[in-house]
Amino acid sequence: MREWARNHRWEVLLVGLLIATTAINIAITPVYLGVGNFINLFGLSVEKIIVAVVMAFVIINGEIDLSVASVMGFSAAVMAALYVGGDVPFVVCVAIAIAAGATAGLLQGLVVIRFGLPSLVVTLAGLIGFRGAARVLLEDTAVGDFPEWFDRLGQQPLLGPLPLAMVIFIVELTIAWIILERGSFGRKVYAIGNSAEVARFAGIGVTGVKLKIFVTSGLVAGLAGVLFAARVGSVRGDLAQFFELDIITIVLLGGVSIFGGSGSMLGVALAIFTVLNIRNGMGLTNVDGLIQTGVIGLLLIGSVLIPNLVQKARQRRSTPAIAHAPP
Amino acid sequence: MTAIKRRIPAVALVALAMVVAACGGGGADTTVGADTTTAAAVTTAAADTTAGADTTVAADTTVAAETTVAAETTVAAEGPVTISAADSITGAFVGKCTTNPVFPQANDGAVEAAGELGSEPTELLGPADCADTTAGIDIVTNAVTQQVDVIMVSNNAGDQLGPAAAAAQEAGIPVVTWDSPIPSAEGESVYIAPADLSGAGQVMAEMARSILGEEGGQMAILSATPEAANQNIWIASLEELLATPEYENIELVDTVYGNDVPQDSQDRAEELLENPDLDLIMAPTTVGIVAAAQVVTQADECDRVKVSGLGVSTEMRDYTLSGCAPEFALWSFPDLGYLSYYVGYGLATGQIEAEAGQQFVAGRLGEYTIEEDPGRDAGLRVLLGPIKKFNADNIDS
Repeated sequence: MREWARNHRWEVLLVGLLIATTAINIAITPVYLGVGNFINLFGLSVEKIIVAVVMAFVIINGEIDLSVASVMGFSAAVMAALYVGGDVPFVVCVAIAIAAGATAGLLQGLVVIRFGLPSLVVTLAGLIGFRGAARVLLEDTAVGDFPEWFDRLGQQPLLGPLPLAMVIFIVELTIAWIILERGSFGRKVYAIGNSAEVARFAGIGVTGVKLKIFVTSGLVAGLAGVLFAARVGSVRGDLAQFFELDIITIVLLGGVSIFGGSGSMLGVALAIFTVLNIRNGMGLTNVDGLIQTGVIGLLLIGSVLIPNLVQKARQRRSTPAIAHAPP
Repeated sequence: MTAIKRRIPAVALVALAMVVAACGGGGADTTVGADTTTAAAVTTAAADTTAGADTTVAADTTVAAETTVAAETTVAAEGPVTISAADSITGAFVGKCTTNPVFPQANDGAVEAAGELGSEPTELLGPADCADTTAGIDIVTNAVTQQVDVIMVSNNAGDQLGPAAAAAQEAGIPVVTWDSPIPSAEGESVYIAPADLSGAGQVMAEMARSILGEEGGQMAILSATPEAANQNIWIASLEELLATPEYENIELVDTVYGNDVPQDSQDRAEELLENPDLDLIMAPTTVGIVAAAQVVTQADECDRVKVSGLGVSTEMRDYTLSGCAPEFALWSFPDLGYLSYYVGYGLATGQIEAEAGQQFVAGRLGEYTIEEDPGRDAGLRVLLGPIKKFNADNIDS
């Protein structure tokens, strides 16, 4: 147990933060401890956390996908435009929309791999391009009045008190944990994130792994966009705009290194609970919007800064001879 | 060479996305039904963040007629209910954001009403950024958890707020929208509309005449974007009035668009100033009017060219007192918040019902009637009333 804690300092820190925020929430608002509130706590951000789980793979792999929120909007817009078109059964609209998300991921992945461009640049272009595409598809219109079964899936409980999106999230998180930390694919993801060069020499199919991750990122973003549309019952071109910030914040707070190669699914899960907990508490106590944004910003800076400082301090302590050695 | 090569994929990606989009867009266009278009027009208004004021868009010229009919058919026999202090309630008062000054102003009005009705003062809820359109959904959902008695919200999410509002109704919490409605009216008890459509054009014509006087003069319009639905309706009604004999001395020489961006608006205003015969810049947007007043003041041309239009009093105060913008107008946001709270309180305490024909008295604002909203296919509204004109005498009151 002590051994585990030493190897998972960040996770231990997050557990502490989670307990602290929960205690504060219980103390300051009596309505916090209700089944309904816990469903809301997750339900209001469920699409973001579904995407965040895959984003963890992307960042551990040494890449970034800034386009996820735009792909969410793009997929939902594809679904809405096809639905307005009227000739396609709605189930097919949904399938095409999710496939459009996967295609968006495939395109970006191919550009990154084939041309060796940084994913930061490629997915930034994706962020702008797919948002633009969503707006072109829907112009200034809002498309709603989807079939009743679709709205019901998004807004009503499916399993006990859990709506569909939360069931999907729980299943996804479990699968992601198994793949990342118990399977050979996960080991490849870490190895590539540490050094793509070394991984290549070790015989790992770097491009294949990267492409799979980009396609999954697009696919899941597409799914999340459709789920968001079902929850709110209508689609506009600005659907899910700026969500990428919250998504990346959660992953980094989860202890995933922005430089790739390290991070755990447990950390990401804890970060999800922590961020949503803080948001929920601030929402229920009517904290000013500016302060809410500031708190999330501080979390992001802290989650990147603190591990770096700790690492530097540790390096200074353990390797003074090398640090001061003459060249 | 390699640099160029490397750029190709990124360009190709964007281009491809655009092509895909363009094809799909064409398909969607041809098949959008009439009702979809209407909903869309209203949504545009709901999404408008700059003025916070631009609201009821989609109505047409038959508004007045329809309204009267609706009101007459269902008038309650017992006459207006005076909404008065009963139980102390808690209300969630939600703006599109907290950083646009009109929303704190509206909350001031709600606080005043809450005080008169013996209830907890409201605090303004909302995201910091008006571009954060879905924050209202989270806030409304949390308000249900908080078990508030009524939710009053300026909707920034279009129909996307519908399910959250419906969930509130299911929990027995009335949802009053103000400033900007839920286009589909799903989950909405009643919408407090700031102004009627033709009203703004009428007020601008009156202000132009009072500023230019008997001899009249040349006027130019500095609007938002060429596509801005609200502004275009107001400008059309203004132009209609200018064509009548009553306003024949006022000559509309130019209409330009600053896109509701301060810098663009200032550039357009500077170009307008180059016309040596210009007497008045009329800006039917809260961004444009400030930009025009700044440019005219900086150019030291306030004696020659005046500025008027729709503006926020706190932003226009200095220019009004300096005489550069002697008169401008806007619906009163404190009054809008005040009326919203009265209606919300009346619904929450069961003093009034959300149905067409319900008449009531809302404190210092007097008598109102709930009516079918002529701007939407469904939904009820209460019309705040005339647009308020501001000048040096009343700007500090």
